[in-house]
Amino acid sequence: MKKFPYIILTFLLCWTTACKKLDTLPPSIISDQDVFSSAAGVTAYMARMYSELPIEDFRYSPERGLNMFWIISPTSATTGEALSRDQNGSMQENTGLSTWSDCYRTIRDANYFSENIGKYAGNFTNDQVNNWLGEARFIRAATYFALVKRYGGVPLVDKVLKYPEQSIEELKIPRNSEEKIYDFIGTDLDYAYANLPETNQVGRANKYVAAGFKSRAMLYAGTVAKYNQISLVDGSGNRLCGIPVAKAVTYFKAAYDAAALLDGKYSLYKKAWAAGDKNAQYLNYVNMFFDASSPENIFVRQYHYPESVHGYDAYNVPRQLMGANGYSSEVNPTLDFVELFDGFPKNADGTIKTTTGGKYDLYTNTMDIFANAEPRLRATVVLPGDVMKGVSIEIRRGIYTGSSVGGINPLLPAGSTAHYPTDNIVQSANASQTPYKLPNGTTMNPAGLSGYFTGDGTNSVSGFSIRKYIVPDKPTSEVLENRSDQTWIELRYAEVLLNRAEAAVELNSLGQSDKSYLQDAFTQINAIRERGGADLLTGTANLTIDVVRKERKKELGFENKQYWDMRRWRVADKEQNSTIYRTLMPFYSANDGKYFFDARLDERNSRYTFDVRWYYEQIPQDEIQKSQNLIQNPGY
Amino acid sequence: MKKLFYSIALSVLVAAGSSCKKVDNYAAPNVTLKGTVTDAGTGKSLQTEQGSGTRIKLLEISWSSNPTPFYVSSFQDGTYQNTKLFAGKNVISAEGAFVPLVQVDDAGKTIVDKSQTVDVKDVTTVNFSVEPFLRIEWVGDPVLNADGTITTSFKVTRGTADPNFQQNVSDVAVFVNSNNYVGNNNYDNRYTPKLSGNDANNSVGKTLSLTTLGGALPGKRSYFIRVGARVSYGLNYYNYTDVKEVKVP
Repeated sequence: MKKFPYIILTFLLCWTTACKKLDTLPPSIISDQDVFSSAAGVTAYMARMYSELPIEDFRYSPERGLNMFWIISPTSATTGEALSRDQNGSMQENTGLSTWSDCYRTIRDANYFSENIGKYAGNFTNDQVNNWLGEARFIRAATYFALVKRYGGVPLVDKVLKYPEQSIEELKIPRNSEEKIYDFIGTDLDYAYANLPETNQVGRANKYVAAGFKSRAMLYAGTVAKYNQISLVDGSGNRLCGIPVAKAVTYFKAAYDAAALLDGKYSLYKKAWAAGDKNAQYLNYVNMFFDASSPENIFVRQYHYPESVHGYDAYNVPRQLMGANGYSSEVNPTLDFVELFDGFPKNADGTIKTTTGGKYDLYTNTMDIFANAEPRLRATVVLPGDVMKGVSIEIRRGIYTGSSVGGINPLLPAGSTAHYPTDNIVQSANASQTPYKLPNGTTMNPAGLSGYFTGDGTNSVSGFSIRKYIVPDKPTSEVLENRSDQTWIELRYAEVLLNRAEAAVELNSLGQSDKSYLQDAFTQINAIRERGGADLLTGTANLTIDVVRKERKKELGFENKQYWDMRRWRVADKEQNSTIYRTLMPFYSANDGKYFFDARLDERNSRYTFDVRWYYEQIPQDEIQKSQNLIQNPGY
Repeated sequence: MKKLFYSIALSVLVAAGSSCKKVDNYAAPNVTLKGTVTDAGTGKSLQTEQGSGTRIKLLEISWSSNPTPFYVSSFQDGTYQNTKLFAGKNVISAEGAFVPLVQVDDAGKTIVDKSQTVDVKDVTTVNFSVEPFLRIEWVGDPVLNADGTITTSFKVTRGTADPNFQQNVSDVAVFVNSNNYVGNNNYDNRYTPKLSGNDANNSVGKTLSLTTLGGALPGKRSYFIRVGARVSYGLNYYNYTDVKEVKVP
């Protein structure tokens, strides 16, 4: 029985050890401690926030939203920059998307970071912590900007909401005024500018990124204040939609000042540029989108095959460069877009000149009409017959077999949307063509290798194809969905200059003269025109807001910016009012052995009409069901 | 023991069977709400466009003091009807190209409220009398000219004396289409003449004549014509005339 105390002792010993940390967390769950106590953990946290940042890049379309690989309803085909077989009209963002809730998740992540990193500050230097706090604010501001440009005033959440500590009623936060949200974005970006470093890892914000975004956001606010006519006021006097006109000057000044902060820090990309050399200017403009060391890149989103990819090339290459997935030619620039540029024959009204004395002008090659085209146009758009990836992109509507004695009369009356008459024209329904025997004995396919095919839409439906951002040396075997990984340039210096010029011209028109605004706008616009190889402005006399807007459309075309510009200028309902966009159809005249061009309205008759309501997007119904204090935007 | 087992099994069966009884099946909505939005000045129904024109706003207050609005779109002649509503007490107003029935000032205070609180049941008729922003009258019928174009004469006047709703006229158009659903949402821009800017704003009070664009209209068909004009207010709704048909031989 002597053993008894020992047994008890052993038993007690086992007991005490068993008490140790019964309530430990499962090791598979990552805690704040794991993430916030090391720089690597913070980098990982940041990486997710940046990947969720709502920017309209290669993976965006209004139909399918942000971060969606399938972009066959391209944004540019809603704005009139392009035509597409899969997007045949203007649209507001698809109301079934989760943009609203996704944005608030990112805002929560940013708020959570800001509130908790302080607890682990001992592990880091002061600078590190401040830089990160600046980054979190930048992300929050950029996310609020994505919300306000869509919906107007939204609920302002600047701290982590806690449930169940806070009651449901308390969490049904009503919308704040549009003005407050823009001011909040401005304040956050000022904070970010003050705390961010001069330089940062590629794809992350530095202080100039914050300033650049501020110039963008404040410019939006200024134009909304000046041009918006929609008003929605809630019961407490918050103007949810619209900003008082009196605030326009304040916002334009903020935009101008923010843009000026980047002076000398970035520059326009001119590595291969040479004065007077159109080909060098063209190559320079093409290269700009692929040079990782470009001094013009301010904020970019990188991709890398195979873990982070998009399919821009596969969807948008001309038909004859089609990859194995069978996609091609989703973005076909309209003639309206092409006519914004200089360097080809034009009529007095600015439209392309294709006839003389009522008869078509004849050209030996389709590129002859564009021989002196603005280099920026060639670098943005594949013109019919121009070279891409070493082959001539052949775009031909059909072969004209009629008599050409005394010239060829227009095939259709002006303004017609009818199909071409078939009596004197041979054409092809699809890519398997029957060659036509020309009078000289040789044969020629009725349509070009990249279209136009009358049966299926898988071709250049506008007579043009897109070059901007298409990788110039990507082998066709790699032109596949989810196989592209070129970098998206979300903010480049040209946009900052355009923001600055636009704010300056607006300030000038609002009677502000504390700086020589018009002269400054003149300088910026000409810098951009010179780089693009366009005709320069000769003086400030004709420098109206329309000149700045046109420059912006040309410079930032197909970069998913015009969709928002048309909205904030409140011109979308004027520009798209039962509008049919124009196309340029090259024909080969069999008897002349030459080409002629027919400029016409889109043969597919796609009409674009922008509904005034869409200036403020519809707030998702399920968000209103969750939080009944949200007031829907007007007209929905 | 067996007896107990059977009685339990029986009661489970009874419980399961009785729960199938469909007692909570609410009757399908069968209440009709209809009416007309009329121009207070002329007593005629106020013409509009379908989809983005006049709509009737219902706030059902039988259940909640802060309900989600329900909308009924009006026909283009200004009448509306919905035959599949639930009975209930509703605050009803209308939105469109007329002086708003409910107005809120900058401080968020409701300063005008002409909405009607109605017990909607069986067949309920609710009419509204409104002041349109603009009143557009035909001056004679559209004329088919010898050169194959159509000339339309009309007059645009202000429909309200309230200066808060006399913004500049931003657009005037003679909409042309191949069917009788014609308006800013549905027209043929090859033929439709338009005025904007100062031309539009100076048109108020004058008799104007506009001729279709694009030369002779293709023949052997009918064209449907309607004049529309709008002021720069809110969602920029158009006011319209009724639709007239012109047969081109």
